[in-house]
Amino acid sequence: MILRRAFFLIIVLVLVSPLFGVILADMVGYHEPLDLAAEALGLEDKNEEINWTPFIDYTVPGLPDSIGYILAGFIGVAVVLALGMGMAKILGKGK
Amino acid sequence: MHIPDGFLDPLTALVTYAVSIIYAAYAFYRVRRSKKSEEIVLASVLAAGIFAAQMLNWPLPGGTSLHFVGGALAGILLGPWLGFISVFLVLLVQCLVFHDGGITALGANVFNMAILDVLAGYVFYRLFPEKYKLLGAFLGGWLGITIAGIACGVELGFSGQFPYSLQSTVFVMGTWHALLGLIEGAITSAVVSYIVKKAPHLLMG
Repeated sequence: MILRRAFFLIIVLVLVSPLFGVILADMVGYHEPLDLAAEALGLEDKNEEINWTPFIDYTVPGLPDSIGYILAGFIGVAVVLALGMGMAKILGKGK
Repeated sequence: MHIPDGFLDPLTALVTYAVSIIYAAYAFYRVRRSKKSEEIVLASVLAAGIFAAQMLNWPLPGGTSLHFVGGALAGILLGPWLGFISVFLVLLVQCLVFHDGGITALGANVFNMAILDVLAGYVFYRLFPEKYKLLGAFLGGWLGITIAGIACGVELGFSGQFPYSLQSTVFVMGTWHALLGLIEGAITSAVVSYIVKKAPHLLMG
């Protein structure tokens, strides 16, 4: 059943994500091309100055980064699915 | 590729918002007219998968990093309209819940990843004959990222204060993403090949 496999894959991805999103990123210094371009122009990242969410950058207040990243991953997956189901109800045609 | 708050000037932010809102309205109209509930549910499962996959940042030697974006994959599997909605959902949750991508840059981020990247995947996959579909998927993933990167460079360039900014941002974003996009292309064609074999009915584009 492909859906079951999809959910299994999503759970595995979220569980291993801190390895790549937190641990390796901290070791090497997360830096994407966008940062390089912005640096050259002197553009300033204001995400932290005008923040509204407790989960900024996939952290959960009070939790260590790796655990917070996993929890943030599951929160994100749940919100995406909930919004998607809502949309399916509103936009989708019945059988 | 997610532009944070502070990078775009008001005009660029406004223009990209306007284009994305108009496109979104049309995409929602098309999906509402022709898609069944189950298809939208599948699109949100793909969105959840793309969200999870984007959390894996792969650091690369040389001090940069990449993660899978997935727009082209959504375009290939779901078509341009449902594919848009799938990536739009991901970007909306990333922005609102995790502040990954700025609220002032949401229009630009949607334009680059949910419109351009999705369309590139859809068009390249469609262009290629049955025998070479996987090459089409690869090119869609690769060029989708490259085109989105260049668009991102243009948006930053217009927002910069220096006369040379446009040239330099387009060059930096274009070359980097043309390189990183090779991996996106490889993953995209691998996933498409798996789905064609195991669950061809999920190809709804």
